[in-house]
Amino acid sequence: MYEQLRPILQKRLSEVKEAGLYKEERVIVTPQGAKIRVRPDKEVLNFCANNYLGLSSHPKVIEAAHRALSERGYGLSSVRFICGTQDIHRELEERISQFLGTEDTILYSSCFDANGGLFETILGPEDAVISDELNHASIIDGIRLCKAERYRYRHNDMKALEEALVAAGKARVKLIATDGVFSMDGAIANLPAICDLAERYHAVVMVDDSHATGFLGAHGRGTPEYHGVEGRVDVITSTLGKALGGASGGFTSGRKEIIDCLRQHSRPYLFSNTLSPVVVGTSLAVLDLLSEVEELRTKLWRNTAYFRAEIARLGFDVKPGEHPIVPIMLGRFSNDAQLAQVMARDLLEEGIYVVGFSYPVVPKGQARIRVQISAAHEQEHLDRALSAFAKVGRKHGVIP
Amino acid sequence: MAYGKARDYYQGELAKIRQAGLYKEERYICAPQAAEITVEYPRGAPQRKVLNFCANNYLGLSSHPQILEAARKGLEERGYGMSSVRFICGTQDIHRQLEEKLTKFLGTEDTILFASCLDANAAIFEALLGREDAVIADKLVHASIVDGIRLCSAQQFVYKHANMQHLEEKLQEAQVCRFRMIVTDGVFSMDGDIAPLDKICALADKYDAMVMVDDSHATGFVGKTGRGTHEHCGVMGRIDLITTTLGKALGGASGGCASGRKELIEMLRQRGRPYLFSNTVPPVIVAAGLKVLDLLSETTERRDRLERNTLYFRRRMTESGFDIPEGVHPIVPIMLYNAKLAQDMARDLYEEGIYVVGFSYPVVPQGQARIRVQISAVHEQEHLDRAIAAFVKVGAKYNILGKGKREIIDMYGM
Repeated sequence: MYEQLRPILQKRLSEVKEAGLYKEERVIVTPQGAKIRVRPDKEVLNFCANNYLGLSSHPKVIEAAHRALSERGYGLSSVRFICGTQDIHRELEERISQFLGTEDTILYSSCFDANGGLFETILGPEDAVISDELNHASIIDGIRLCKAERYRYRHNDMKALEEALVAAGKARVKLIATDGVFSMDGAIANLPAICDLAERYHAVVMVDDSHATGFLGAHGRGTPEYHGVEGRVDVITSTLGKALGGASGGFTSGRKEIIDCLRQHSRPYLFSNTLSPVVVGTSLAVLDLLSEVEELRTKLWRNTAYFRAEIARLGFDVKPGEHPIVPIMLGRFSNDAQLAQVMARDLLEEGIYVVGFSYPVVPKGQARIRVQISAAHEQEHLDRALSAFAKVGRKHGVIP
Repeated sequence: MAYGKARDYYQGELAKIRQAGLYKEERYICAPQAAEITVEYPRGAPQRKVLNFCANNYLGLSSHPQILEAARKGLEERGYGMSSVRFICGTQDIHRQLEEKLTKFLGTEDTILFASCLDANAAIFEALLGREDAVIADKLVHASIVDGIRLCSAQQFVYKHANMQHLEEKLQEAQVCRFRMIVTDGVFSMDGDIAPLDKICALADKYDAMVMVDDSHATGFVGKTGRGTHEHCGVMGRIDLITTTLGKALGGASGGCASGRKELIEMLRQRGRPYLFSNTVPPVIVAAGLKVLDLLSETTERRDRLERNTLYFRRRMTESGFDIPEGVHPIVPIMLYNAKLAQDMARDLYEEGIYVVGFSYPVVPQGQARIRVQISAVHEQEHLDRAIAAFVKVGAKYNILGKGKREIIDMYGM
């Protein structure tokens, strides 16, 4: 059979290549950091990691990982409810609840799995899920697996959300689902308005805070803290795989009964391995660090403000905002998708590692280079990136 | 305020689960995974030492000193986290090396890593099959395969568990489709029975179908050199796509993969949603995974010992009068049919220092409740004998030794 499929797949793959959409992976030969070495053998500054706080290879984090390996071993070879729960798993769940100010928390292998296992477990055919159109792929897949009625509202458009809430009027449970921070734009969801609407229309609010937990808000508690709606968001999903060390793991945190239902019935929780002890032990240390090292957050925001101001001053079209995700928009050029690829390639030549994003990852005509700022970046790194952007931008006529 | 009404609803659901006796309580392990572990259960109870007979730690590598050392070295050389997906900045040289090593070990053309085998199964069907195609799955395949199939638009067919005649009928029905993919677990997790891959491959040839196997409960120890079910069944090279895990025999921390035809893997790298939209496998897991494969390629000593342990345990338990379906896999189902009996016996065994879990509906079919024992290469002779003695003691207490299905059901009901 496969011999017939082979040529068809080969054709599809060459179409992907011709369309310039083929994803090539760049091979890194060092730990993650501001400065990394990539193959064939080039040292570059990394401006495309979710390593917001610079914890991915922080010495204290590595040390905690060594300790976790010694004290709790490498693998558990089990799911949580058979023999995959250690004392530290429960401890981490409690610490996350404390940190986020929620009632309870359940760990998953990833936030992707947390989102995959959420909707189906807590919503049935009598319920409704109302979702921002730009939500992360894993929320979309989670919703596809659930039987609730589905409504989608225009990105961050509160009027459209209200219309959807009205349309979902009769549903038993109504759940509004949104990213806290949208990964391609760095846009922050309008949670105060969302929570107001939720109260008016008796809806439950769910936020995926993967691009916020650890650094957004005065104490890094994420989008709810940033917007002053802590306690009004019913369910938060987030990741340990970005700012919080970046290895793997995710969680759902929120109302006690919801977390309890997830522990009983959520399929990725019941049917996939527990989080490995090394990630659990290290994450406990990361949470300790978060309350200690305010300077990392301060540095991240200082770096971000500086880079955003300077890149705009150079004449680049930057989506306004304040998040360390800085999208440099190329949509006013007719060849935007190609331009994003070529500029990213030239920037790499200049020692700056960034990635161009185009359709279908972002809407047509909105190709961009997404820069991500980290607390691991030094002033000199930011300046080198800015001068590389200036040089490459001028070369391609993107800036004067 | 908005949550108020929802709270009442979820509290009601939870009460129903408790009333049905299906509420899952987690036991807290206060040590690394091993043959003997320290457990706190229920929460707040004094810790006690028990022998673990319910882990997927088939080869005893979960806390093996050489694996721990490799993990430490991985941390030093490649760091803790990558904070990225593979195609942005989450691919290290060791990720590629591990993919290559898995390809070689499994005897396939190429391999792609996923955060878990659950994610691999969630990715493959949607990325590889369309509306014009057919998925033909064994009725008892793992939940993650079921979910992966739910996410894809191909036509769906289900055949009775391991029933080749029924599979053939379904293949005939699906002849109108463009492509057909037969989907099965290599080893079924609740029964330990092995899919007849030789027969499945013959049917695949006859009816022009691809074959996909989830080999999570086989990779590393099933087959003479531990390559998996395809080796055991003599069909290496004839399986188009294998998914499996690093989270069971291969160290047991996390991570999974899909391995098979070159173009299928390349397609998954371009289109697999859990691959594109979730973190790369962390360096520490990748580094330890490399070491695991080195150990397995050097010697079959561990899987040989696992086989000896399994055959001994199965023989002695059967001789002692337990109702155990025939088989050779380290998953040993002790059939009890009644859910409460399974729970009660597991609790009594825990009191005797043997940690096993009772499974009942909906995890297994109604009236098929059981205790599932899992044997490991780290079990010493003395561990096996202690477990057998405890089972005999508890089995005698419930008067089920030497009793068959009918008699047990007569005593306890379904």
